[in-house]
Amino acid sequence: MRLISRTGAIAIAGAASLALVMTGCAASGAGSGNEKITLTVTTFGTMGLDDLYAQYEKANPNITIKATNIDTGGNALTDWKTKQAAGNGLPDVQAVEEGWLGQVMGVSDSFTDLSSYGANDIKDRWVDWKLGQATDPNGRIIGYGTDIGPEGLCYNSALFAAAGLPSDRDGVATLFGGKNATWDDFFSVGEQYHAATGKAFYDQSGFVWNAMVNQQKEGYYTKGGKLNVDGNSDLQSLWGKLANGAAAGLSSNQNQWDWGGGKAFTDGSFAVFVCPGWMLGVVKGQVEAAGGDATTGWDFADVFPGGAANWGGSFLTVPTTSKHPKEAAALAAWLTDAQQEVAAFQAAGTFPSVIAAQSDPGVTGESDLTKFFNNAPVGQILASRAENVVAQFKGPDDSVIQEQVFGPSIKELDSGTNGDTAWNDAIALLNQLVVNK
Amino acid sequence: MSTDTPRLIVVPRAGRGLTYRQRLNRADVRYSPYLYVAPFFILFGLVGLFPLGYTFVVSLNNWDLLQGPGEWIGLKNFSDELVDPLFWNSLFNTFSIFLLSSVPQLIAALVIAAILDQNLRGKTFWRMSVLLPYVVTPVAVSLIFSNLFGEQYGLVNNMLQGIGLDPVLWKTDLLPSHLAIATMVNWRWTGYNALILLAAMQAVPRDIHESASLDGAGPLRRFFSITLPSIRPTFIFVIITATIGGLQIFTEPKLFNASSSIPGGPFRQYQTTVLYLWDMAFNRGDFGKAAAIAWILFLIIVGIGVINFFLSRRIASAETHVASARTRRRLAARRIAVKAPVAPNPEPLP
Repeated sequence: MRLISRTGAIAIAGAASLALVMTGCAASGAGSGNEKITLTVTTFGTMGLDDLYAQYEKANPNITIKATNIDTGGNALTDWKTKQAAGNGLPDVQAVEEGWLGQVMGVSDSFTDLSSYGANDIKDRWVDWKLGQATDPNGRIIGYGTDIGPEGLCYNSALFAAAGLPSDRDGVATLFGGKNATWDDFFSVGEQYHAATGKAFYDQSGFVWNAMVNQQKEGYYTKGGKLNVDGNSDLQSLWGKLANGAAAGLSSNQNQWDWGGGKAFTDGSFAVFVCPGWMLGVVKGQVEAAGGDATTGWDFADVFPGGAANWGGSFLTVPTTSKHPKEAAALAAWLTDAQQEVAAFQAAGTFPSVIAAQSDPGVTGESDLTKFFNNAPVGQILASRAENVVAQFKGPDDSVIQEQVFGPSIKELDSGTNGDTAWNDAIALLNQLVVNK
Repeated sequence: MSTDTPRLIVVPRAGRGLTYRQRLNRADVRYSPYLYVAPFFILFGLVGLFPLGYTFVVSLNNWDLLQGPGEWIGLKNFSDELVDPLFWNSLFNTFSIFLLSSVPQLIAALVIAAILDQNLRGKTFWRMSVLLPYVVTPVAVSLIFSNLFGEQYGLVNNMLQGIGLDPVLWKTDLLPSHLAIATMVNWRWTGYNALILLAAMQAVPRDIHESASLDGAGPLRRFFSITLPSIRPTFIFVIITATIGGLQIFTEPKLFNASSSIPGGPFRQYQTTVLYLWDMAFNRGDFGKAAAIAWILFLIIVGIGVINFFLSRRIASAETHVASARTRRRLAARRIAVKAPVAPNPEPLP
């Protein structure tokens, strides 16, 4: 008797809790027209958008934004891939990084064609190569550009002065060859520096190689999507220069993205650092993490070896799983409008991909970032660095080649293996991981 | 037959004619136990058995993470993986780290348990302190140890250089990296195992110890001859769980060098099999091969589990053999001793 009533009670409780869960699920998906709408947004790293959501909610009272920011781009990529593979759990607005494009384009039909929601009216907003990157092979526009990553050279003026090299921005730009700066110039300055101080010149070979590959018209893939590594004499000759630099002791062999918790930025381990716009915030953060400040001497020069280069930059996309594609597209469009991109630049140093924003006083003027980099006009330098950037086709295995094929070989270079051996090791890995997979 | 015959009272087993309530009561007693254990089996089926089967189905396909299932390729993923040097590399790393961690860990746990088994002041304090590392999440442990074992700025290398030794490349060289990761695992699990062994030691009857010491056995002799044999079943349990855990190690090598372009070190020096599996699925995007790796690893663990089981059974049965043989000998000796005064010695002593 008693048993029966107890099981009955349990059954009722179970059913009730199940019902609760189910209504909980249903609630988030409800709403249309002028009803309350909740939009979910997933971003990563420091994109500088956080303060803008409240502003949008205020202007659109029926919209509530639920934002998630994932700490690094790598983790965000894993998060996106997992949800994409599961076909479930993707947000209404998903931030996508340039490096993911190879994989994103493979499944581009799972992203909403923003042309259906007014993309064609605003597409002149962006620099044309950014728009080109966000257009899939069938001509659908699947993303709105947030920032781009034009690369300049960060250098430590105190260390340059101590080595008897020019230390003012213009002097340094000229030292590296000004508008016609080449990688040969870069390495010969490095050898001068090394001869004067006995110290390493750059932090590790990985980012330098990254810049070298990114500034080619065609990188690991041709425009037509064919693998372009084995027998690519341009890449191989750049690899030789990188190997010679490492052999001459120019690389400090730091762990990338670690740098001893930032200490390597303050203890004179290296004197130059390749800096896309968004990296400026990273440098500042690393120096501050190690207890340093503006007096540590980092500055930003308007020069880059081998010509214009772009590294990274992101897009806002609307996955087709979104229940409110219209509202999500409107939010993405607003977040990438000139005014908002200026605000993001001021918050995080992400250089705008919107043309009107690039020349905005908010970008070209002073900020915390300019103060940190010895009052360098960071926004103006980045605008100048963004000229002549070419968008490179990213193939499906681009990130695997960058990280898993060349990653070990770059570590080999930095630990003293000769360039040819390291290149051959990379080709062997390429065949194993990409060609014969 | 009408229902109001008195027979019903005599034979209630027939069930017919019972009130609804009585029948319900009986059904409750008979079936509800199954209902109570059902949640486990349903959950196990959902999150254990079904994924296992589905993983096998995935492993038979050319399955891209993002593009979804491709063509059916049978066991090709398995045959590919079994000849892939990177797979064998991961297996070597797994076993190397497993041995480097489990062996010292179990010995240390045994020693710590034996010390805690003594009559200490502030028992609970010591026991809790031993368990403390286990409470810390593995992620936090990995972050701290990864920092300690930094190559250029780590505390360990600073100290080595302080006493005039060369810094060790903890994150580049094979053996140092395995040792560093094993240290993390040991730090976290030694205390946990020590407590389990301690519980077993506490159950060893004290009077055996007492009589042994009366017979003049020292503490070491008592430990090896009494404590160790008595806790053997628990020790085998600890070994099996340590094996399963050790073969599935992931967090420590993943976060040991979190910024490495390849999970598990730039040259895959400490890429364990689970890490290799994860890399295959989420970085290289080959879900089919990842599923095949998962299945191979599953079979290896099952295999080791079976070996463990038979070994422990043999040890146990050998033990009873020895014991019964000993008893038989003693009984025989006793019988002879009892008979001796009756039957005179056939051969007189010289």
